[in-house]
Parts: sequence; structure tokens; C-alpha cells
Amino acid sequence: MLMSSTMRRIIARVSGRIGIPWYQPWIDLTKLYSLRTQISHGTMFYLGPVFRLMGGVGMFLFMPMIFGSDLWSNYSFSGDLVLILYFQFFGMLGMALGAGEGGHPYSAIGISRGLSQFTTIEVPMTLAVISLAIQYDTLSIAKIVEAQQGGIMHWTLFTNPFATVAAMLSLLGAFGHSPFNLVKAPNEIPIGPPTEYHGTFLGVLRTNSAILHVAEAALFMNLFFGGASNWFELIIKTFLIYFWSVFVGTVFPRFRIEQSVVWFLKWPTIIGIIAIIIYL
Amino acid sequence: MEYIILITGLALILMGLYGIMYIKNIFRIVIAFALFDTGINIVMVTIGYLRNGMAPILDKMPTEGTTPAIVDPVPQALVLTSIVIGLGVSALMLTYVLKLYEDKKSLDINSFKDLKW
Amino acid sequence: MVAPIYIIAIALGLAFTMGLFGKQLKNIAGVLFIAGLGSLTFISGQWLWNFMVNSAATEIIYTAGFKPPFAIVLQMGFEEAVLTTMINVAGLLGALYLFPLLDKKGNNAMMVYLIFIMSTNVAVMTSDIFNLFVFTEVESIALAGLILLTGQSKAFQAGMKYLIVSGISSGLLLLGIIFAYQFSGSLTIIDMINANLWAVKASSIAAFLLIVAFIIEMKPFPANGWGIDVYTAAHPGIGAMVSAAGASASLYVFYKVMPLVNGNDWYYFIALIGAITFVGSNLVATRQENPNRLLGYSSIGQVGFLMMILGLQDVLGERTLIISFSILISHYAAKAGLFWISGILNAENIKDWSALRKNPILLFLFGAFLFALIGFPPFPSFFGKWELIMTLSQTGNYSWIVVILVASFIEGIYLFRWLGYAIKLDHAQLPAFKTPWYQLIPIMSMGLILFGMSAYLTHVFNFGPAINYIPLLFVLAIFAIDFLPAYIKNTVSIAGIAYYTYYLWPSLENDLLRQIFIGIFLGGAILTLVAGYAKKGTRAGFYPMALMMFAGLVGLIEAKSMLQFFFNWELMTAGSYFLIIRGKRSMPHAYSYILFSIAGAYAILMGFGLAYGSQLNGNLDALSQISLLPALAYSLLAVGFMTKTASLGLHIWLPGAHGEAESDVSPMVSAILLKAGVFGLILLFLSIGVDNPNATTLLYVLGWVGALTTLIGNMGAVFQEDAKRLLAYSSIGQLGYILFAFTFMTHMGWLAGFTYTINHFMFKAILFLVIGGIVVKLGTHNMYEMGGMIKKMPFSFIAVLISIIVIGGIPPLSGFAGKWLFYNAVIEKGWYFQGAIIFFAGIVAFLYLFKLIYSVFLGQLKDNHRNVKEISAWILIPSYILIIGIMIFSAFPQYILQPISDMIAPHFQSETITWTGSLATTSLGYWDATTIMIVVGTAFMLLLGWLIWLSAKAQKVEQFNIVFAAERPFRPETTHVSYNIYAGYQKALGWIVAPGITNFWNTMSTNLLEFAGWTRRIYSGSIQNYTLHVILFIVVFYLISIGGL
Repeated sequence: MLMSSTMRRIIARVSGRIGIPWYQPWIDLTKLYSLRTQISHGTMFYLGPVFRLMGGVGMFLFMPMIFGSDLWSNYSFSGDLVLILYFQFFGMLGMALGAGEGGHPYSAIGISRGLSQFTTIEVPMTLAVISLAIQYDTLSIAKIVEAQQGGIMHWTLFTNPFATVAAMLSLLGAFGHSPFNLVKAPNEIPIGPPTEYHGTFLGVLRTNSAILHVAEAALFMNLFFGGASNWFELIIKTFLIYFWSVFVGTVFPRFRIEQSVVWFLKWPTIIGIIAIIIYL
Repeated sequence: MEYIILITGLALILMGLYGIMYIKNIFRIVIAFALFDTGINIVMVTIGYLRNGMAPILDKMPTEGTTPAIVDPVPQALVLTSIVIGLGVSALMLTYVLKLYEDKKSLDINSFKDLKW
Repeated sequence: MVAPIYIIAIALGLAFTMGLFGKQLKNIAGVLFIAGLGSLTFISGQWLWNFMVNSAATEIIYTAGFKPPFAIVLQMGFEEAVLTTMINVAGLLGALYLFPLLDKKGNNAMMVYLIFIMSTNVAVMTSDIFNLFVFTEVESIALAGLILLTGQSKAFQAGMKYLIVSGISSGLLLLGIIFAYQFSGSLTIIDMINANLWAVKASSIAAFLLIVAFIIEMKPFPANGWGIDVYTAAHPGIGAMVSAAGASASLYVFYKVMPLVNGNDWYYFIALIGAITFVGSNLVATRQENPNRLLGYSSIGQVGFLMMILGLQDVLGERTLIISFSILISHYAAKAGLFWISGILNAENIKDWSALRKNPILLFLFGAFLFALIGFPPFPSFFGKWELIMTLSQTGNYSWIVVILVASFIEGIYLFRWLGYAIKLDHAQLPAFKTPWYQLIPIMSMGLILFGMSAYLTHVFNFGPAINYIPLLFVLAIFAIDFLPAYIKNTVSIAGIAYYTYYLWPSLENDLLRQIFIGIFLGGAILTLVAGYAKKGTRAGFYPMALMMFAGLVGLIEAKSMLQFFFNWELMTAGSYFLIIRGKRSMPHAYSYILFSIAGAYAILMGFGLAYGSQLNGNLDALSQISLLPALAYSLLAVGFMTKTASLGLHIWLPGAHGEAESDVSPMVSAILLKAGVFGLILLFLSIGVDNPNATTLLYVLGWVGALTTLIGNMGAVFQEDAKRLLAYSSIGQLGYILFAFTFMTHMGWLAGFTYTINHFMFKAILFLVIGGIVVKLGTHNMYEMGGMIKKMPFSFIAVLISIIVIGGIPPLSGFAGKWLFYNAVIEKGWYFQGAIIFFAGIVAFLYLFKLIYSVFLGQLKDNHRNVKEISAWILIPSYILIIGIMIFSAFPQYILQPISDMIAPHFQSETITWTGSLATTSLGYWDATTIMIVVGTAFMLLLGWLIWLSAKAQKVEQFNIVFAAERPFRPETTHVSYNIYAGYQKALGWIVAPGITNFWNTMSTNLLEFAGWTRRIYSGSIQNYTLHVILFIVVFYLISIGGL
């Protein structure tokens, strides 16, 4: 949430405005949750946000947040990195379905673009994960974090820079900020799914996008930046990771979908392949 | 002498074949086929011929211990049969020529190419 | 016993008498004619009976009481008895068939017919070469007479060509006889053989002339234009006689005189001529559309095949006769039957054979005859070809095997096109035809002979024990009750399968692999058949074919020997072909399916041949120790199985075949049938074993093939608008995963492979069942014409939703198990790039999954679908049973995966997976399915409950109560965004699925057909060219054989 407001401030600053106060998102959210919907598009319409939130929450639930903490390792004992990667899809699919039921054409357009882009975003990510698994010989996030302890030079960022770069580029897409924000395309398409969902639903979605962003940032932190051993470290690191995409986004114009799809298959993929080759 | 006949026979065979392959008139092709047949018959007779041999008709028992110089009767018998068969084939061919002519009013072999490929 | 001389006596006597009868006694002539042929059949049949039952001695008959050369010698041995019986039976049936025509033409026609049959008989029996010549001549003259029967211009031309060329060849024969006589001093064949004419240069010319004359009689390619014209132009009834009786006789005659040139080189050349004829004739036939001419080419091809077998007799040894007989009898019955059917239809083009489907009996026989020609089980030619190839392989004659298989494949090209036309070709108006009883009876008799001989030869080859008759009998029983309503047959079929599963299960104890597959095959069979209750009417022909496929599948499981396996493989192929072709627009797809299938089957056959040759052991375990060309053998087997799994390059048949099939056939062929290929691959890989140096490259290549198949399959699915084709492409992709997994040859890889196999079976069955039901209900395949079905069909929606969650590999459902295992396997094996492609493809899958569920169930409901109801409960029941299966597998995968793990552990040295309750641990990671299920389930229910509570007072929105771009939509079509929704994606990555492979195969087939078209130009229609061909043939053969070129 905090990230979201900060992001908007940064965008505003870059474009010469002052922007919203940092607490604005919370105000919005509170308002949204207090609204009650009066309409229904059908069960799947409810299920959409549920699935979506489930994806975010699930990712959160199965990921160790703070190294060494029993409490904050959540349910990570029941699944490893692969589980997290695939749990992202849960929410995505649910969102796609829920929005689909609304019958609004923009939903479908947005989703088709999102999925298209997502396929290639995942390529460098997958390569990076494979590279990591080779490097650390494990798929357990906890173990990966463990291996990175003991100083900044042990971070994957330095031990396996190619994988990190590939993954970070992929992260740009995953967060869906410019230049890869055609999916939501805030100006042309009246934001697709979010238009359809209102009140509580929008609240759920907002909550989720916050959770998801944090979860993903946390994942990256764990994988590439040494994890976190306390709350402070967690917050700082995720914040920085998040802002990487925001900064890039404010500088670059938006790609069309076929451009972005191809873009991910070029440099990020090549870097990802290099990341694997060095371990062959 | 035998060689001349043999060569004549072979020449007839070749002439016949040539005729079958290059003459355009189907009636003549039948004639060429008859030539071919005759050539074969001549060759057959020649093969069985024995110089100065007698016809294979024994009017008295040959003397013990000698073999009379008679011509082998088998090829001759074969030739007889073959001539008969050749006659039958030629007759049938002529019937066909008649039918073909009735059908297309032409004797040119090239008019009968309806069946191909 | 009646002496065989009476065959001549009765026939000649009758023929002469009939000539005297005149018009008054016409009726008596007819009776006598049939009676005469009947007595010929009786005489030869009686001899045959004697030889078989009483094992009588060969009888030699000296006519007129003289010894040769002054008398004709006839021999009646077992072989002669067989041949004459065949000729006379064909003669009798053919006479019945032609009776009205012969009757109309008068006594003379019957006379000529009698003479034809008689001379063919004598040609078989005689031991005297001149006699042989005489009766061959008589036979050609009689035939030339019979050709005239139709009285058409074309027949005259054909007869003329025939007379001239056969005249030339008999002239050569005469020359040969006289030379041979000069050198051997005898006219009996046996004396000539003993004189060893071929050994001396001078006398070898005699042997050459004799042999070449007989070869010409058999119409070797390409010097056979004159013979084909006869088949084309003569009445099909006569064509049947030439093909069945005449060709059998000339083959036997050839067999008798072959020892005249006893010498390896000669036999080799004869085999070569046969092979060229076999390939050439079939090739040219691929362009043929006239049924009679097509049959002519096929006949000549089969004769060439038999000539080749005879030429290889030194290699085949004592098996020669039985092999050639099994091929010959199939040819005999099939060709006679086919020519007779052609006579009934009287069509100029094979496309008009679509009329045949008006008469199911004829259609059935037509199919049986074609399958007999190609060599499918249970027909004799199947056993013949099997034995032939095994023997050839054993003796290292691989190139001959290749020739046989290539030619057989080419044969399949035109025969199956023909069958497809007959079964399915759209025809504005089916031409009418009549089937009089006197024409139907001969055809049915040939059918009976075919099946009878199949049973008999199975016994002779001693293949009987290898074949499990119970399922086959069950198929027959279902066939017998085919007229009953579908639901009765459905119940009987389900009961039968269930009982058989129960019966079979104990024998599979301790064999988990087979248990899994029996579960897929038979469990799947029952579930998909349950969906069949939704169908009305009798569904003629459906149940026998479906059960045949399942019988084949069961047979694969039960197979212990390679023969059993192959037998059942072919059985399954045939059954599935008929199932697939039932779809409305399935003709071209079934055609490409069967072509890929038979090509694959031949690859398997050759692989089996190499295995058999290596081990001289027909059991399946011989596969593990192939010493002859092992790399090739393994590759062939893999390719063969991959035609069924539709791997990249061999996949192009699948989308159409599965997409156009009937709604309950699609799940059968997709969820179940494809697994036969998987089963084959598993057996193959198990036989190969880990670290087999002969297969390392193969496995590596297959790994890439599997990965790329997945990508192409999934990508292909993304761009489909047709719901069933989308699923079909998805099957290609899923089978790619499976192939990829099994090529790992590691514990983890195989576990992933099994997980995918089981998952794919379950979700693809659900999807095809449900989507198939919806397609039927809505009357369209196109997803963009659907939409909004969630409100009409909520149960279908849930079923589809669960399936796509599984396909997507989203936790907590079982698809995730596959993904997780894959990650572990890929990293352990080190196939990172293939793995990356696989994972990429896995994400691409989301695109089509979303498209599928969105376009069909979400979005806008169309006006014309406002009144549709949920699909039939009979479809939902099996789907929900499968969903329960998925749920159990998802929550407690250990109950299935752990035993599999134990099963495969002995085969692989690689690291294993450790199970602690539901927690699976590998050296890389861990995964606890049950916990995940509980966590996700709980969280999910909580969130859902909360939301529902929040929006309890919501009111339903009308469909069009939405606004976009400041417009309120008024038609659902305008707002249902579905058509080509991935346009941008296609622009970016569509090149991956550019139809390169389809184009490749299209180009291949076009080139083949072009080549055939170019080759057949040699048949210019000119007698003189044909004569030239014959002369050139003789010259070339002379140069090669004697000239020592």
C-alpha cells in the first residue's frame, strides 16, 4: 500500500506534479471495503477475486518471509519454489475467469494481453530459477536463503549475476508497470477488470495487488538478495525491489503486446540462457 | 542348308516383331504377327532336323544295335500343334480387327488409345 | 475317387456338346454349365479333402497309357489340389455371378468360359511343358473371347493388345521349349530341370526364354500395360476370374518352372523383378480413379509381391509355400470379391463407391477385402507378412523388408483413400444400384472363404495360442446384435468390459505398469461408454468397432510375444480408424490417421523383425537385446509408437481426427487411444534400459522432440477457434510432456511421466466429454459462437474448470504434481534448455485454457442459446467420477505415486523420491500435497464465504447492463471478444506454429503423386509401345541375367 502511493508520487514527480499523499491508498481502501455491491454477474464473478486473492495469499502462505523465524516461515515446509511459481497462476486464472463472466469485452482483451505477455515474462524467470537450482542444488527457498547468508558478497546478485539480471527484467513485466502495462492500459481501456469490479471487490483486488507485489518482491529478495532475517530488512529490501520496476516504468513508454512478448524472448532470455550455460 | 533355314526363321521373327511395333495399320499388324509365328515354326522345325535323316515314319523294325537316322518326330509334332494354335490366334485377331474397324471405322493403330494410364 | 482327367473330359465334353445345342436347348445348357463347373469343383475339392484328411500320395496320370514325351502327364498333388480347387471355386462362383450375362450371350459364351476354367486347371496340373504351352494358349484365346463379352469399344482394344503381347510371349515360350528340348531331350518339366540348362552358357538361353515368357505372363512392371487394360475394360466378372483364377494359376506355373534356372543370381533377379512390380504397380495405382483399373494395378502388384517371395525361396526355405499361400489366398478372395462388387456398382470413378454405404453387407465385405489386401489381422496376409518379415530379418535381408513395407504402405495410400470415399465421401446423390442374389452370394462366399482361411491359417502357422479369442468373440457377438438399440448394446458392452477387467485383474497382480494401463484402457472404456447412453438410435457399426479397439488395447496389455503385441496393435488401429471416420467431416482426417498408423506399424514391424532376428525369440523381452542394427531398431520402434502419441512431425493427423470425431469418440481416441503409444514407448524404454549405448542419441533426440512437441502443441491450441481442435492440439502438447518425461530414463522423469499419463487420461476425458456434449448441444464447433454457458451449464463449467486447473499445473490439484516432478527431473538430469521450453509451453497453455473456458462459459450468452439446457447427465456422470479421481489423486498422490516409485526404482540407479506420508522429498525440494490441499481449501472457503456474506443483497445484473466505450451493447455478438483474441501473440510468436510440418507432408505426398503421375505416362495406350516395353524388358533382363551386366 505504501509502495503504491509512493509509486504514484514518483510518477507525479517525474511528470512535474505533486501527487497524492502517501496515506491516500488506505483511505481508498477503507472506502471500498465499506461499500456493498448491489449487483451480481454470477458466482464466477465472486470467485474471480477470491481466486485472485487466494493466489496472493497462497504465495504469501507458502513463502518463508524471514529467515530463521519459525513463525514467519509460514507453510513453506509443504512446498518449495516450484509451488510458489505455480501459485501465481492460481490468482491469475481466477481473475481472468471472474472478469470474463462480467461479459465486458475489455476484460477479455485485457486478459488475453496479460496472459500473452505473461507467457514470455516467465521465460527468463524460469531460466533464472533453473540456474539458481543448479547453483544451490536445491529448490527449497529456505535453503537458498540459507546459502546466501554471511555478507553481501554471498548474495545471488553477486554469485550469479546473470540469473539475477534475467529475473529482474522479468520482474518488470510481472509488476505490469510501463513499459509493460498494456495489460491494464490505464488510459485506453478503462482498466478492464478493475472497472467491472467495484466496492468490496475492488477492495479485494487492491489488497491482493498489494499482497502480490509484496509477495513477489519478497520472493526476489529471498532468491537474489540474501533474504531477510528481520522485519526491517524485509521491508527495506522489498521496497527497493519494488521500486526498480517503478523507476524503469516512469522512464519508458509503453510497448505494444507483440513488442513486449518478443522483447522478453530477446535479451532477458539470452541472459537467462547464459546464466545456465555457466553452470553446464 | 539348315543354317539358311534357321536364319530365315530368325529373320522372320525379327521382321514380325518389327512389323508389330512399327506398322500403323492393324490389319498389317496381324499379318506381321503371322510372320512372327511362321518364323518360330521354321526355327522349331530346323532344330529337330537331322541332315539326311528320314522322315520319322518307320515302315520296318530297325536292325538291332543300330539307330536309324530318322528326324526327331517330337518337334514336328509340336510344330503341327503350334500351327493350329497360331491359326486360332490369327483368326481371333482378325475378328478383333473387324470389331475394331466396325467400332471406329479406322484401321490406324493410333486411334485405339482410349485406355491409358 | 474321380480321376483328375475328368476335369478335362467333363469340361471339354460339355463345351463341345453345348456348341451343338443351338438355341432350343438354351435352358438345359445353362443347367449343364453350372453342373459342369460344380463337378469340376467337386473333383478338385475331393482331391484336396483326400490330401488333407487321408494324406493321400501324389497321383501321376499318364494319358493314353504312354510314357512321356508321347503322352501328356498330369500330376495331382496337394499343391495342385489346392490350386485347382481355388480355380474351380472361383470359376463356379464367377459363373453364378455372370450367369445372366452368359445366358444372354448364348451357349458359346458359356462354352468359352468352361474352356477358360478347364485350361487354367490343366496348366496347373500338367507336368509337360509343351502341354503347358498349349493350355496357356487356349487360356489366352478363351480369355480374349471372354473380354468381348461387354461388347464395348474399350474391351476390343484391350483384347487386341492382350492377344498381341501374349502371342509374342508364347512365341518366345515355344522357342524356349524347342531349345530346351534339344538340350534335354525331354518335354517334361522335371527332366528339363534335371538337365540343368542354366548351368551351360549355350543352353542357358533356352532356360532364359522359358523363364522370361512366364515372367511376361505375370505382367511385370513396367511391361504390363496390356494386362492392365484387360482388367480395365473387361467385365469385372471376368476381371475377377483373371485376377483370382488366372493369376493364381500362372503363379503356380511359374513356381513349377522356376527350378529351370536354379541359381542364386537368377532367383535374385526374379525377386527383384517382383519387387519392382510390387512397388511400381502400387505407386502408379495411387493416381488411379477407375476402380477396375485400380484393382488391376493392385492385382499385378500382389502378383509381383508373390513373385518376389518365390524369388526369395532360397532364403525363406520351407516357409516359402505357406507364406506365399497366405498372401495368395488373401489376394484371391479379396480381388475376386472386389471385382464382383465393382461389377455391381458399375462405377467409373472410385468416388462413386460412396453408394456402397447403402448396402451395409457389401460395405462390410469391401472393408474386409481391403484390410485383407493390406495385411491387417486376422486375415491370412497378416500372418504371411509377419512370417515373411521375421524370416527375412533372421537371414539379414533387410533391404527386402524395406521394399515390402514401402510397397505395402503405398498400397495403403490408395486402398484407404478408396475405403474413405466409400464410407464417408459426401455425394450429392448416391448412384443407385441393384444387388441381385446371384451376385451377392459369390461375394459373400469369398468373404466366408477369407475368414475361414484366416482361421485355418492361424491354426497352420500355430499362431492360435498367441491370440486371445475372448475379446474377439465378444466383438463378433456385438456385431451380431448390431441392429438393437444403442442403449442395449451399450449395456452389454459395459458389462462385457467390466467382466473382462474383473477376469483379467488377478493375472496382473504384481505388475503395476499393466494395472495402470488396464485402468486407463478399460476404466476409460467403461466411462466413455457410459456417455454413449446419451445417444439415440442404433448407432450402427459403432459398438463392434469401439470394442475392437478396446480388444486391441487389452491385447497390448496381455501381450507376451511380439506377434501378440503387433496383432493387437493392428486390431486397435483398425478399430480406431473406423471410430474416427464416423465423424461428419472426418474422411480426410481418418485417412491421414490410418496412413500414419500403418507407416508406424510397419516401422514397429521392422523393429520387431530386427529383434527377432537378433534373438530368434518371439517374446517381447527380445527387445532388450537387439544385436542387429540396434540403434536403427530402437529408432524404428520409437517412431512407430510415436505415430500414435502424435509427436512432432507425426502429429498432423491428430487435430482433425480428434476434433471432428463424434462427441464420445473424441475422449476414447484422445484420453485412451493415445496411451497405447505411451504404453509402447514405456515397454520400449524399459527394454532399452538405462545407459544403453545404442540408444543414448535416440533418447536425447526424442527428448528434444518431446519438448518441441509440447511447445508446438500448446502454441497450436492457442490459435484455434474450434473447441475440439483446441483440445486436440492440447493433447499433442500433453503427449509431448509424456514423451519428454520418459526419455529422461531417470526415476524422477518417469514418475513425472506417469503422473502426466494419469492426469491426461482423466482431464482430457472430462474435457472431450463435456466440450463434445456442448458442441452437440449448441451445434457449432466454433468457440466464438458460444459464450455465457456458465448460467446454462454450471456442472459442465465446474468440470471444465477443474480440468483446466489440472492442465495448468496450478496447485493444489494434481497437475502441479507433474510440474513439480518435472522441475526436479529436469534439474537433476541437466536438460535445462529442453526443460525451459517445457515450462514455457506450460505457461502458453494458460492462453488456450483461458480461451476455452472464457469463450464457452463466460462472456456473452448468444440469443440463439437462450433456451439450451445442461448437457446430458450421461456425460456428466463419467466426468464427475473422473473429477473425484482427480481430487483423490490431488490430495493423496502418494497412494499412486509411491507404488509407481517402488516399481520403477529397480530400473534406474538415479536418485529416488522419498515419501513421508504425503510429503515427498527429493534432494532438491519437497512437496506436501495433502497439506497444500488443506491450506488452500480452507483459505479459499473462508474468502468465498466472506464475499458471499458481503454481497448477500446483490441483485442480478441483466446481460447487457454494462457499458463500454460509452455504448450499451444490444447484441451479444458484438461484445463477446473471442475470435482471434491472441492476435498480438500470433503476430509475435505465431511463426512457431507456421504449418511447416503439414506443408512438408503435403509436399511429400504431392511429389509422390506427381511421380506416380509421371510414371504412369508409360502406359500410353498404344499397343506398339506396350510391345516395345515387353521387348525392352526381355532385352534388359537378358543383359542382366546372362549377359552378366
